[in-house]
Amino acid sequence: MTTIETAPPTPPVTETKRVPGQPDMWVFVIFESLIFTAYFAVYLYYRARHEAAFLAAQSHLELWLGVLATIALLTSSWSIARCVQTARAGRYKTAVRDAYLTAGFGVVFMGLKIADWVHQIHLGNTFTSSQFFQYYFFLTAIHFVHLLIGFVVLGVLLYQLSGAERRSQEIVETCATYWHTVDFLWVLIFALLYVVR
Amino acid sequence: METGFNKRLFIVWIILSGITVLYLVIDHSAEKHGVRTASEVASVSAIVLALIKVRIIMREFMEVREAPRLLCLLTDGLIVVMAIVLLGAYLIGRALA
Amino acid sequence: MSLPLRDDPKRELWYAWYAAVFFYTLYSVIFFLVTHVQPPGQPWYTPTQVTHWFAHYHNGLLIGFALIFALGGLSATSIALITYSIRRMSVSRAFAYSYLILYAVSAVPGFLFICVAMTAGTFRPDRDPQLQQWLYDFGFLSFSGTMGVFLIGSLIWMTAILLDKNRVFPKWFGYLNLCNALTEVVVAPSWIFYRGVFAWNGLIAWWIDVFVFGIYTGVFLMLLRNMILREDFGSGPLPELPLLARQAPATLELAS
Repeated sequence: MTTIETAPPTPPVTETKRVPGQPDMWVFVIFESLIFTAYFAVYLYYRARHEAAFLAAQSHLELWLGVLATIALLTSSWSIARCVQTARAGRYKTAVRDAYLTAGFGVVFMGLKIADWVHQIHLGNTFTSSQFFQYYFFLTAIHFVHLLIGFVVLGVLLYQLSGAERRSQEIVETCATYWHTVDFLWVLIFALLYVVR
Repeated sequence: METGFNKRLFIVWIILSGITVLYLVIDHSAEKHGVRTASEVASVSAIVLALIKVRIIMREFMEVREAPRLLCLLTDGLIVVMAIVLLGAYLIGRALA
Repeated sequence: MSLPLRDDPKRELWYAWYAAVFFYTLYSVIFFLVTHVQPPGQPWYTPTQVTHWFAHYHNGLLIGFALIFALGGLSATSIALITYSIRRMSVSRAFAYSYLILYAVSAVPGFLFICVAMTAGTFRPDRDPQLQQWLYDFGFLSFSGTMGVFLIGSLIWMTAILLDKNRVFPKWFGYLNLCNALTEVVVAPSWIFYRGVFAWNGLIAWWIDVFVFGIYTGVFLMLLRNMILREDFGSGPLPELPLLARQAPATLELAS
């Protein structure tokens, strides 16, 4: 007789505690974070065992490029967090503007990343040239793929916001949750590749 | 009311960007006469700072602060697991080097 | 609650499901324990070492792959059930047919090639070691390297699930498909490296990838079971799982 409700109910816009976005997306966030943690652990373990070689290769990286890229992505996270709040308050025009800002900063990050890759390749560092750069290109590339998917997600977000009959705060929050994940994964990658000795 | 929200997010962004700039200091501290050196202190602080940033992003930007307890526990649990695995991998690797 | 099998309209679905479970069990036991092709052999082996590898696992390879050649067709039941699940969704049938074609085709390079290559390698132990190495490379590279097709298949299933209004699968499984698809991408570097974490048996390209794939497979088998339990043979949203059915697995009672 009693059936278990598996579909997440539409969250009321009140001060009560509710899960931001679909709980399903959080499953993805946690699972994907664990997979990345495994990749990071492999990198850190091999790095610690071949310190000198990794250090020498790492010295080719430009830390300031990494810092700028991190700040760009953090800023995009900031604007999408604002987007969620303005959408919740019903100010959809502002929310759309914030969403475009997010995309803009995402593009800035992409540009900085590509500039970094091109710079490294000019220096002769490629995926196959050393162990450190194997990990560098692998981690930054797989993150880049996540970022590209993030643009698709932003598209879904904009689609939701731009039509009165389509708006779903839950989907807006779900998209934001994905974007923030891309951001915090980069925070970790930056620390591990650019700073860890 | 809304300005209150915006202000909080702005402060969070400032803090996160500030910590990011702090990495330049850590990086500089792990140099001897302009030459990079391995440094356990620098590495561990880099990882710990990153995890702090991740927690801030989750609690403030991702709104876990206002989420049910289960989600708070799961995300904090995730960060603890990451801390143990990352620091463990690095320190064990170093010990076996 | 449980009808005698003869009268149960879901009978064929249950046959397919049990066959799929049997296939994955058989595949795991044979590939991992009998033939020892998983975890894969070392990519950096010289031709002589490869010849020793074939000799060392000679009996396991022949017996194991003989069984796979006989029973491997059961893999079709898993693909069929997934295709069925996509057809039950509210999305266009194009998704179901694309998935079916992709996986049916990819079974050849991604599953059969390694069976044939390894059997051929074992068949003549006195063959030129260079040729043995060729068969060894061909087998392992085709198994690991053809991930692209599986990747696209996962993305098709993911898109269908996220667009579906019939709630055949929970949305989190749609996202899990994305996780699985992304770990498949990670296998691509195995075409470049003989050693290290990106080799075809590397920590990243094999171990982590297979771990995720194992979880993914276990999850979708369980969700397919739930789908069959919930199936009402309509075209609207699937009803939710009754509490009772969750506790007791469907039993194959033979009608008296």
